[in-house]
Amino acid sequence: MSSADPASPALALSVRGLVAGYSEQPVVDGVDVDVPVGRVVAVAGPNGAGKSTLLKAILGIARLLGGTVHLEGRNVTGLPLQKLARLGIGYVPQVEEVFESLRVGENLEMGGYLCGKRERAHRMERTLGVFPQLRPMLQRYVETLSGGERKMTAIARVLMLDPRVLILDEPTASLSPEMSRIVLHEQVRALGTIGKSVLLVEQKAIAALEVSDWAYLMVRGRVVMSAPAPEILHDPRMREVFLGGAVAELAEQAR
Amino acid sequence: MSLLIDAIGFGIASGAVLALGAVGFTVQFGISSILNITYGSLMTLAAYFGLLLVGAGLSIWLALAVGALMVGLISVVFHRVLLGPMVKRGIRPFGLIVVTVACGIVLQYIVVAVVGPTAQSYGNVSGATLRFLGMTFTTAQLVIIAITASLMLALHLLLTRTKLGRAMRATSANRTLAQSCGIATDRISDVAWLISGSLCGAAGVALAITVATFDFTLGSVFLVPMIAAAVLGGVGQPYGAMLGGLVVGISTQVAGALWNPAYQDVIALVILIAMLLLRPRGFFGAAWSSRRLLA
Ligand SMILES: Nc1ncnc2c1ncn2[C@@H]1O[C@H](COP(=O)(O)OP(=O)(O)OP(=O)(O)O)[C@@H](O)[C@H]1O
Ligand SMILES: [Mg+2]
Repeated sequence: MSSADPASPALALSVRGLVAGYSEQPVVDGVDVDVPVGRVVAVAGPNGAGKSTLLKAILGIARLLGGTVHLEGRNVTGLPLQKLARLGIGYVPQVEEVFESLRVGENLEMGGYLCGKRERAHRMERTLGVFPQLRPMLQRYVETLSGGERKMTAIARVLMLDPRVLILDEPTASLSPEMSRIVLHEQVRALGTIGKSVLLVEQKAIAALEVSDWAYLMVRGRVVMSAPAPEILHDPRMREVFLGGAVAELAEQAR
Repeated sequence: MSLLIDAIGFGIASGAVLALGAVGFTVQFGISSILNITYGSLMTLAAYFGLLLVGAGLSIWLALAVGALMVGLISVVFHRVLLGPMVKRGIRPFGLIVVTVACGIVLQYIVVAVVGPTAQSYGNVSGATLRFLGMTFTTAQLVIIAITASLMLALHLLLTRTKLGRAMRATSANRTLAQSCGIATDRISDVAWLISGSLCGAAGVALAITVATFDFTLGSVFLVPMIAAAVLGGVGQPYGAMLGGLVVGISTQVAGALWNPAYQDVIALVILIAMLLLRPRGFFGAAWSSRRLLA
């Protein structure tokens, strides 16, 4: 898949030769990632592999040392985050994914910051249809919520932006198995079917594969495996390598 | 007894000025994480703008409004061209404080170079005295209390009821996340510095009105009780700063009346140190943190 033309409009997101980090020292070192329109693409890998850094580099948060990012065929390398939001990219970070000192309702309002009042009210209803648990919590301050309620608020907030491309960094961390299933199998999956494209970083490797069209395995800042997700799931050998790499220390073996 | 009640009345009046200053100071910290010590000299500058405007024939209250706005605009520029770029370049909070201290001293010297060291006055602007609940107020003091109360109410409504205010709080809470929602955080910062700088300017002119005569040290002397008020309320919390202003104002005036007026600043310092020792997160501490608006 990574042989495709990065400027092709069939690709919602296309990353080529990305080198990024927090200083001169690269943490992500020459990564290619493609997200076709309407597809869900997962990135897995052990802790510290550079998954979050990859996402942050795409979004112009981490320091970009090389490579390009295309959004729907348009070069957006190095554009500031706020411009990317206006261009239709939604982001749920792994940590600090909510506005702590704002109420739940205010968090959602900020998610819909770019649209008009009526459209925002409309999106609010739609989003609360997805997360009915949040409705009685709208007046609560986020810092009084449980970990799972926070995650729901974060995902609801990004849905309020109504983005065409979603970049989700471990959206189900601290959610119950039941809630994780709903978020991944219903939400993320459904996003794909309504034409949204998703780049998903997920620790729950099997669940991620189940809802994804394509999966990358990242180890120590590089992509070491890239294949259709169903293929990985159904080929026992690939599955073993992938899960081994995603969970345990393929990094250690490579030393 | 009547001495005490009078002191409370005077404390409320000076507390109103403190609250005005402390809220602006705390909003700057909340939105940008910068402890802006130049604030004191900017208050002095506002007082002299007021003098200029009164000299040009404006009424004292119009001069307060215009002077406030002028310092608001200067604050925006100060943040845009100096402090903001420094934050973006990753200069640490300590370095930033040193910069704002230095700028404050430079500005103070510029003021003294231009206007000279002699004390100035707006003339007699205090108006008739009124008695209220046993306390004596001048008309000017009452107007200042009213101005403070309405500005605080306006700020509260802005922060909680408007999209702009919520975007300011969102930017203050999590800048990156705010940007990911499409919020133009640099513009939001400009607005926050315009508002907080205007509060600084309003406090400077109001202070000059209440102290009768002032010189180039006006704002820098005021900085200690004002920071005490802000710390008392928990730095970054506007409501805390409002209450902190009142508490510091009343307690310093009462202490001054009961012991010796020379102890006023000492009392403010003792409050500051005691608060940092006992409740470093402010009067309301964690219990109030869920209500904090800018942190
Ligand atoms: N803000 C930062 N400054 C400096 N180094 C960082 C920063 N954030 C992460 N790193 C380092 O970059 C490397 C990759 O971190 P990253 O967060 O991208 O890993 P990850 O794959 O997302 O891991 P996890 O599964 O634990 O979330 C790690 O070695 C980490 O220590
Ligand atoms: Mg991560």
